[in-house]
Amino acid sequence: MSLGNNINFLDWIQFQASQATTRGYALSSNMRTPALQVLKDPVFPSRQHEEWHYTPLETLRSQKLDLTSSGDITSDHLLEFKAAVPDALTLVFVDGLFSPELSDDRYSTQNTGLTLALIETLNDSDRIQVETLIQESHFSDTNIFQQINLGLSNSGLFIQVAQGCEIKQTLHCIYFSSNSESARFSSPLKVIHLAPHSKLELVEQFVALTGASGVTIPADYIKLETGAALTTYRIGLESDQTHHISNIACHLADTASIHTHHYLFGSRLTRCNQEINFDKPGSEAVLRGIYLGNGSQHLDVRTRIDHAQPHCHSDQHFRGILDDQARGVFNGLVLVRQDAQQTDAQQSNKNLLLSSEARVDTKPQLEIFADDVKCAHGATIGQLDEDALFYLQSRGISKSDARLMLTRAFASAITEQIELLPLRSYLEDRIDAKMMELRANYV
Amino acid sequence: MLSIKDLHVSVEGQPILKGLDLEVKPGEIHAIMGPNGSGKSTLAHVLAGHRGYTVDSGSVSYKDQNLLALEPEIRAREGIFLAFQYPIEIPGVNNTSFLKKALNEIRKYHGEEELDAIDFLSLIREKMTLVEMQEDLLKRPVNQGFSGGEKKRNEILQMAVLDPALAILDETDSGLDIDALRIVASGVNKLRSADNAFVIITHYQRLLDYIVPDFVHVLSDGRIIKSGTKELALELEERGYDWLLEKPVNQRG
Repeated sequence: MSLGNNINFLDWIQFQASQATTRGYALSSNMRTPALQVLKDPVFPSRQHEEWHYTPLETLRSQKLDLTSSGDITSDHLLEFKAAVPDALTLVFVDGLFSPELSDDRYSTQNTGLTLALIETLNDSDRIQVETLIQESHFSDTNIFQQINLGLSNSGLFIQVAQGCEIKQTLHCIYFSSNSESARFSSPLKVIHLAPHSKLELVEQFVALTGASGVTIPADYIKLETGAALTTYRIGLESDQTHHISNIACHLADTASIHTHHYLFGSRLTRCNQEINFDKPGSEAVLRGIYLGNGSQHLDVRTRIDHAQPHCHSDQHFRGILDDQARGVFNGLVLVRQDAQQTDAQQSNKNLLLSSEARVDTKPQLEIFADDVKCAHGATIGQLDEDALFYLQSRGISKSDARLMLTRAFASAITEQIELLPLRSYLEDRIDAKMMELRANYV
Repeated sequence: MLSIKDLHVSVEGQPILKGLDLEVKPGEIHAIMGPNGSGKSTLAHVLAGHRGYTVDSGSVSYKDQNLLALEPEIRAREGIFLAFQYPIEIPGVNNTSFLKKALNEIRKYHGEEELDAIDFLSLIREKMTLVEMQEDLLKRPVNQGFSGGEKKRNEILQMAVLDPALAILDETDSGLDIDALRIVASGVNKLRSADNAFVIITHYQRLLDYIVPDFVHVLSDGRIIKSGTKELALELEERGYDWLLEKPVNQRG
């Protein structure tokens, strides 16, 4: 078997895992070897697996890859995405590999205390430090996609903020699948370490332009020390021929806080798994997200919040908007362990179905073993309010505009919580554009 | 302007309007009164184009067009305005941007230039004085958290901004205290002209102390059973509806 032409994804994984090469990967053999053992006989979770019941992986398994050529991404492609986060420090990755030409100079002195490094370029002792962070920020629920990322990622980004440093400039990572005819594979790895009382804001965009297809398997390992604060925005803008399965593990020390915002516009199939682990008391996680699908898209949000320690606060609010035959999945587990007294855990998932063939499966799960806690969860699935539609029409607004206004209003409960105003209006415009099926160049 | 002939309307198979006739000319104010369940609100909703009502027979002509063939938004752009009995709350839609959008849709339809934010703001400020409305209501989502009176004033504000040819007020007076009633009525009175017309649906005579109608019609069991001038409203106030119901006038078949 040779690498390259029209090989299906599962076979490609197996082939890669059986290669003896050790060069060209982000992590050391020590880290990769256990993962490769799993990948030599790769098995994707089936519908029988509880965590994957609503998300079939047949199309991913048989996705053809062709890694013989890659297309060009130029700075023109970046303009739209950079405009969403003005004045940011932008790092660009093409098919998973860092592009120095397209990126800003990351060694600007403006951001004292910020370390950015490609893991594969680190010396042995620094790499061991990063790999230790990965081990410390492990996933509780493991899946093969984490193994794919560990074993096969050819590039990793290490982000560290020194103690007490508040990074003023937003960090903006853009991950492009190149716009070639062939299907690309990338598995970007990211390790984020915020030292005590440091602060960082990160925007990530995953972009696959028109005609681009392929598979993106990112994994993030996040460790927040005492009093550290991280805000992330992740935006999925991938073409209808792509598959995206991401895993994010986050561990928080005492009084640390993480705010995550997910805006999933697409790909053929997206699965976004976030694990939040409260390792010490008094920390906080706020998760927000919108998944907006049409056509035959499948968008899956999975969260697992582990309240292992007392006095922690988690607040999740996800909204789904699904049109045509699109499917959405929300699968949210909140685990409150016996010692986690004074936990405050809130979870809300609301869904708007815009067509009779759209579908959503929502599965909130609360498992509570402590007795002094405040927990609430709720899930709704509904359609546009006919009375509100009529009210708007009776004032001269067309039905299609009225639908747009009401959908935007539904999303606004989430979008209005975006504090970066240019990003907020960018995402509101994206929602409108998707609703109007004004097919921009990435859909 | 509006000509309704032998209109039969049902809701979920239940006949509500059973042969209603009404003629409205520019400059006129018509009051439609009647007991609960007589079909007053059905008439209002049918004229505005609500899908929940089925027109079984009859015709409605508005400005020489078949009104029933027009979508609700086209009716609005052609100058029909319904002030809702129960204005809808729309979370997440800003009151000002909603009204600006509505006005500009109507302007575009008539080939007029859209108003920009500044021009719109000065227009709406002028109209707000008509209904003595607090400016902070403009910043809120449409009708959300408004009191009953504020919702009704918001309806009249919309009417003032959109400047309809034919305004239908569906029990705008219900649930209003006397001050709010006076404000709403004075708003209507300031808007009336030789070119526009009002159909005012009301359960009580009270509103007609402030808005003097040219014609008063009594609707009962889906038909107009008596028409007259403002004196009829006073008589209804005094005697109730029963004397009319016992000896129906102008009944068909």
